[in-house]
Amino acid sequence: MIEMIKVSRTYDPNITALSDISLSIATGEMFFLIGRSGAGKTTLLKLICNMETPSNGLIEVAGYNINKLKGKDLAHLRQKIGVAYQDFKLLSNRTVAENIAIAMEVSYKNPRTIRHRVRDLLDQLQLVDKHDTLTGELSRGEQQRVALARSVANSPRLILVDEPTGNLDASTTRRVMELLTRSNKAGATIVIATHDDSIYQQGNHRIMELRDGNIHSLTRGSLK
Amino acid sequence: MNFWFAVFRQTGRNLRQTWTSQFMTFLTVSLSVLIFAFFYLIYTNMLGAGDRLSDDLRLIVYLEDEPGPQMQEQLRRKIQNFDDVEDIHFISKEEAYQRFAMQLGENSDVLQDMPTNFLPASIEVVPLKSLRGYNQIKLFSEYLANLPGTEKVQYGQEWVERFYYFTRLLTIVVFLSGTLLILTATFMVAYTIRLTIMGRQDELELLKLVGATNSYIRMPFLIEGILQGFMGSIIGLSALYGLFQWITAHFTGPGLLSLFQFSFFPPGVIFLIIMSSICLCSIGSYTSIRKFLRI
Ligand SMILES: Nc1ncnc2c1ncn2[C@@H]1O[C@H](COP(=O)(O)OP(=O)(O)OP(=O)(O)O)[C@@H](O)[C@H]1O
Ligand SMILES: [Mg+2]
Repeated sequence: MIEMIKVSRTYDPNITALSDISLSIATGEMFFLIGRSGAGKTTLLKLICNMETPSNGLIEVAGYNINKLKGKDLAHLRQKIGVAYQDFKLLSNRTVAENIAIAMEVSYKNPRTIRHRVRDLLDQLQLVDKHDTLTGELSRGEQQRVALARSVANSPRLILVDEPTGNLDASTTRRVMELLTRSNKAGATIVIATHDDSIYQQGNHRIMELRDGNIHSLTRGSLK
Repeated sequence: MNFWFAVFRQTGRNLRQTWTSQFMTFLTVSLSVLIFAFFYLIYTNMLGAGDRLSDDLRLIVYLEDEPGPQMQEQLRRKIQNFDDVEDIHFISKEEAYQRFAMQLGENSDVLQDMPTNFLPASIEVVPLKSLRGYNQIKLFSEYLANLPGTEKVQYGQEWVERFYYFTRLLTIVVFLSGTLLILTATFMVAYTIRLTIMGRQDELELLKLVGATNSYIRMPFLIEGILQGFMGSIIGLSALYGLFQWITAHFTGPGLLSLFQFSFFPPGVIFLIIMSSICLCSIGSYTSIRKFLRI
């Protein structure tokens, strides 16, 4: 699903966020990205969804060189990639339901399908009573779940999640992981950037640790 | 679900979110259309009246003496030297008297004691339809006045002159109000759409990230422009039509206006005005989209 070959990303005043990352993530895999703050996790996810362009190297997603894609093709590929951003990127003056619906509206889904899907997701994330609340009025943890709901709403083939459980308690964290696991079982490839060892230790998924923009280690979780 | 449904839903949201500035723009566009169409309507009616007037335009050349057949032939040739004419008609003193008596009708007995040759003989010249414009007619009349044996030339100079200058003035007014329409339609629409775009940068940004196509993002703004142009011109023209009805109901009858046979635009012109309004507003929204919507 994702192929990265010698990818580097530097920011203007010689900050190297990522250097020479080569990585291959298979279709249907659940992949964890860990590392200290500032290690380059968010940068890596942004490169994969073409929010940033690499300074060097090649990135292929679903067989497309994502940096060569333009216009309609890029839009269609992005519809197949769900992203939960670390800063959420919610529209604070819109309701929870509207925020989640946006991801489905861009692929012209039927309004009824959208309504059902939104209700279903809110139910899974225990947010049903926030359906018509403006996202600006939500707590961080609630906003985080709305961002996650939006990323999986359109049933994308690839889901990129940045710090999904940072503001959540243990039981809500479990619900979030259940939702992601379900999407993964349904065939979606999932990349999760996190600090939270409680979520990546519980499986035999591959875990990549970044340190200062380099791959420090690539291990597997210890299956309990 | 199809593209157009999604686009119209998005347009509806835009309109709801910025309805105050949308409404102001809509009013400005309607008002500009009204002003332009108002003057244009007067202008076209003036032109129509002008056509009718110049159909009836005759230059009467009063002669010192009754011309003999030879003289008539000479005059005819000289007149045609200047320009081809529609018709030349000699009126003898006798004929002039008959006509005058006919015009007087019942009161013709006042002529009883007058000699039948007290009116001068004249030539009635009907200029070609192509001889238009005040200056040409003036030149022609000056030429006629210089023919040998002519006393003076009459064609309702004052009337033609005033009419001509009024039409000239109207042309300028129509031109100016047309410019006003172009400016308001394009700039106001461009401005409101710019406002919408600026107010929603974060949403447009997000739409891109979740995979909205460029046309999905752009189309609602273009539709907004088209709607402004369409609604604005419809309302502007309807207001003018109301005004027109009111004027014809209150001011027709035997008077100046009846001479003009005031009539509204034919469907073709209405269609054209609506289309141009739509075009102008679309251009306005398109420029804003190009300038401010970085995709
Ligand atoms: N737009 C930017 N301009 C300049 N430097 C940047 C920019 N974005 C990221 N960086 C730098 O790149 C490095 C990696 O940042 P990144 O956001 O990927 O870290 P992270 O691993 O996601 O950290 P965290 O766990 O805190 O989210 C940091 O040193 C950061 O300062
Ligand atoms: Mg980060």
